[in-house]
Amino acid sequence: MLPGNQAPVIVLNQNTQREEGKKAQLANIRAAKAVADIIRTTLGPKSMLKMLLDPMGGIVLTNDGNAILREIDVKHPAAKTMIDLSRTQDEEVGDGTTSVIILAGELMGVSEPFLNQKIHPINVVSAYFKALEAALKSADSISKLVSIEDKETLSVIAQSCIGTKFSSRWGNLIVDLATEAVKTVYINNNGKVEVDVKRYAKIEKIPGGDIEESRVLRGVMFNKDVTHPKMRRYIENPRVILLDCPLEYKKAESMTNVEMTKEEDFNTLLRLEEEEVEKLCQAIMRLNPDVVITEKGVSDLAQHYFLKQNISVIRRIRKTDNNRIARVSGATIVNRPEELQESDVGTKCHKFEIKLIGDEYYTFMEDCEDPKACSILLRGATKDVLNEIERNMHDAMAVARNVMIEPKLVPGGGAVEMHVANELTKIGRTIEGIEQLPFQAVAQAFEVIARTLAQNCGCNVVRIVTELRAKHAEDNPDAPFWGIDGNAGKLADMRTVGVWEPLAVKKQTFKTAIEAACMLLRIDEVVSGISKPEKKSGPVAAAPDEIEA
Amino acid sequence: MSVSILGNRQSGQDIRDANVRAVLAIANIVRSSLGPNGLDKMLVDQIGDVTITNDGATILKRLEVQHPAAKVLVELAQLQDAEVGDGTTSVVIVASELLKRANDLVKNKIHPTTVIAGFRLAMKESIKYIKNNLAVKTDTLGEEGIMNVAKTTLSSKLIGADSHYFAEMLVRAVETVKQTSLKGESKFPIKAVRLLKCQGQSVKESVYVNGYVLQAGRSAQGMPTKIEGAKIACLDFNLNKFKLQMGVQVLIKDPAQLALIRAKEIDITRERIQKIISAGANVILTTKAIDDLALKYFVEAHAIGIRRVDKKDLRRIAKMSGAEILTSLMNTEGDEVFLPEYLGTAQEVSEERLGDNDFMFFKGMPKSCAQTIIIRGANEFMLDETERSMHDALCVIKRVLESKSIVVGGGAVESALSIYLDNFARSLGSKEQLAIAEFAEALLVIPKVLATNAAKDASDLLAKLKMYHTASQTSSEQKKQEYKFVGLDLANGKVRNNLKAGVLEPTLSKIKSLKFATEAAISILRIDDMIELAPKKEERGQEQ
Repeated sequence: MLPGNQAPVIVLNQNTQREEGKKAQLANIRAAKAVADIIRTTLGPKSMLKMLLDPMGGIVLTNDGNAILREIDVKHPAAKTMIDLSRTQDEEVGDGTTSVIILAGELMGVSEPFLNQKIHPINVVSAYFKALEAALKSADSISKLVSIEDKETLSVIAQSCIGTKFSSRWGNLIVDLATEAVKTVYINNNGKVEVDVKRYAKIEKIPGGDIEESRVLRGVMFNKDVTHPKMRRYIENPRVILLDCPLEYKKAESMTNVEMTKEEDFNTLLRLEEEEVEKLCQAIMRLNPDVVITEKGVSDLAQHYFLKQNISVIRRIRKTDNNRIARVSGATIVNRPEELQESDVGTKCHKFEIKLIGDEYYTFMEDCEDPKACSILLRGATKDVLNEIERNMHDAMAVARNVMIEPKLVPGGGAVEMHVANELTKIGRTIEGIEQLPFQAVAQAFEVIARTLAQNCGCNVVRIVTELRAKHAEDNPDAPFWGIDGNAGKLADMRTVGVWEPLAVKKQTFKTAIEAACMLLRIDEVVSGISKPEKKSGPVAAAPDEIEA
Repeated sequence: MSVSILGNRQSGQDIRDANVRAVLAIANIVRSSLGPNGLDKMLVDQIGDVTITNDGATILKRLEVQHPAAKVLVELAQLQDAEVGDGTTSVVIVASELLKRANDLVKNKIHPTTVIAGFRLAMKESIKYIKNNLAVKTDTLGEEGIMNVAKTTLSSKLIGADSHYFAEMLVRAVETVKQTSLKGESKFPIKAVRLLKCQGQSVKESVYVNGYVLQAGRSAQGMPTKIEGAKIACLDFNLNKFKLQMGVQVLIKDPAQLALIRAKEIDITRERIQKIISAGANVILTTKAIDDLALKYFVEAHAIGIRRVDKKDLRRIAKMSGAEILTSLMNTEGDEVFLPEYLGTAQEVSEERLGDNDFMFFKGMPKSCAQTIIIRGANEFMLDETERSMHDALCVIKRVLESKSIVVGGGAVESALSIYLDNFARSLGSKEQLAIAEFAEALLVIPKVLATNAAKDASDLLAKLKMYHTASQTSSEQKKQEYKFVGLDLANGKVRNNLKAGVLEPTLSKIKSLKFATEAAISILRIDDMIELAPKKEERGQEQ
């Protein structure tokens, strides 16, 4: 061996790759920008759709940022963290999934010159956090509080919030549907507002027909038929009983063996089983229901009894569907038929109908009194179109929900971002020291929303954005409300055009985008290819242990 | 070679060099994450899972370190994490620096054992000096002092920008879980502070809940979402239909009895539930399942039933609310009873939706021996990192509250020790003098790295630090005494009195990290031969 001993010392697993310092930082920035570029064209009213093919050959046709990114399989870890952002946004507020990615990508982009100028990332990060605070404050300052007590104004507000997003394609249809649905599930319980869109507003898609035929039911529907073809398929003012137990003979839970010595015993046993079912049915029929719906199975024998009594039976519906039916019909879900009471019977639903649409039967329970749940029936040419409308519906309902929970609005069309940008530039001038530059860069990054909007509607980007900036710099109270009318490609006062967005969505967008950018900027080394997929690496304290007394 | 062995053998200076190189490589990896201007690492495993962290222990754990000497360092970081919770990065850096310098000494023909002896002596002296001269009692600083300790820890993390907000929250949480033993000693079981992660909003929206939060929703939609004046029953058994144990069979002769058995099965559960409800319970928690049939009874009684609660959570809630966890309803006489005494109380139990998940909040319970902090954030990775940072901070707060003693951070302690040891070395007339001098020099690595990470002139700052600390140790003037608290001000690239600036660390953390680092360096230094056996023949196929 050589006297100096330069034999390599292997410290790490040789499969791992390390990227360090500026190289890693720049790679992260590039990855973030790349992700943003993918969905850039799907922002605003003049957005385009993306068609994604999954490995199974399925097609996803969408312009929902979250749906696009969910399907994309990215390699770069930084890109992954970006994609996670749109998920957060989707879960928290349901809308703005595209803008959060574009904003985060831009924030990363504007930081690149600073890293090249050797400004410490920590300074950039701390400036970004300061900018976030200022941005939230300035967004708050131009928000307006609206009253949601009056249902009429509510729908106007929801319309103006959602309207601009989808109007180009299906008129006001989606807007109306979403508003209607959210209004239905809106419950104000002594000031505690509950809008549970997830559980109680179900979107049902039936291919075929025309989009115009989509509607919100005053009640619910589900894809099931009565168990026996001879049962009634149309009942007015039905008495509904909901069960979550099987209407057939159940074996006992414990191991029970019957030792039979005589032949008659066998018959008795069979008879007992039948009697058991009959008893169940008797208990139900005691209350004269017209419709019996259960989550479990119904035996042939039970069907027979019900058919004789002219009762329609539907079996094997989902728990979630059952919960919705309970809400619209006023029935209680019962587990033991013996314990049924008059109060458990639902009578609030006035029309029970089973229709054949396409080649499948659908049960409709409509005309309910004050339903607190609903189904939204979507019709459309193909499954892909339906899926896309469903996603739009989901966004629209989320927006409507946000407005109801936090009735504060900010002007849309890039106006609020422009306002924030303008404010940040002003504040930026008063900041001393090195943080001034990154702070003002955030202001610049906020303009990206307006820029992208302008780009997507095909107008002269530079001209219109400069014009907008000039408008916002003006010192008059109307200045913050100027934005881009995405349909016309012109500047407009968002109050007159009626383009509003919930403050909650915008705030969440700013927060998520800036925090994520900060996190990525702090990284100075990427080590990849670590083989051991260790179980959760979180600290021990995450799992509460026994308290030491 | 006279003896032939299967495999590799390295000995003497070769192995020492190799070890030092490996250790330095490890230290270099974590070096850039030290201090308030340290940066984070992104670790990606083969599946593509990402971890973004600033925590030395986590970084090293996730990196697959193969070199045996380097592994010692990884374990060192782990040890520091377990014992103290913070300072994992600095302990690795100090250990590697010590080793590097020791190796140079050995190259100059000083026997390793002499170096080891010198290091030991230096370590003992340093600890003595910290305790006698540098440590400050927290009593003199008050609440503010503890806050500052937490802030110092958090400053190097992602959430450092909002360190004040979090420090306040964490200190309050730790102080609330305080327990006093019979002897009057205070204990702070930080495990009782539960960190719950929930995606969405921003980190600043993280909230501190005085009570307990369960990540679970009600079992049935018909149940109320909020109950005031809750009576909590904690069960550790099924509320399913009664079922005999496995292997137990019921044998009946008369077929008519079959129906009776089935009815009985349902009745047993129903009776149990009715006993619980009639005792006044309106919030029922169980670690096992609740059958659909049982849910209905709860719905009718306007009670909240929550199933599949984690046992640990249940224990916490039981302890806080004063409830008793029941594994069965059987009393000593063999009858099934549910007494009102088994119930715990809470002022309010409510279900709230955060992000896309439901959470149950238990508030206003008689005891406050567990607290919850709900962490919010932009994405999963951020939540994980925030959780790790909070854990570090919690550990540090706990240490300070228990030991009531702090030292000044920002490289102040290291500089002071370095000057002191340098002088001390000169008072010795043996070979250890050299080792101690090197030890003194090695400690300066911390301020050096801190300054480098902040992109400041390390040599200049170090010179200033040394000057102040020499002044404080040589002069008896009151004003100059204060100079022992001088450390780095990394934001402005100056030196300042860090005691006043509020850059503080627990004394215990400093002492332990010094001890661990020295011991680790020593144990690697003692190695003079490494034999790596070749894998046995049968296993050659799996050789990598």
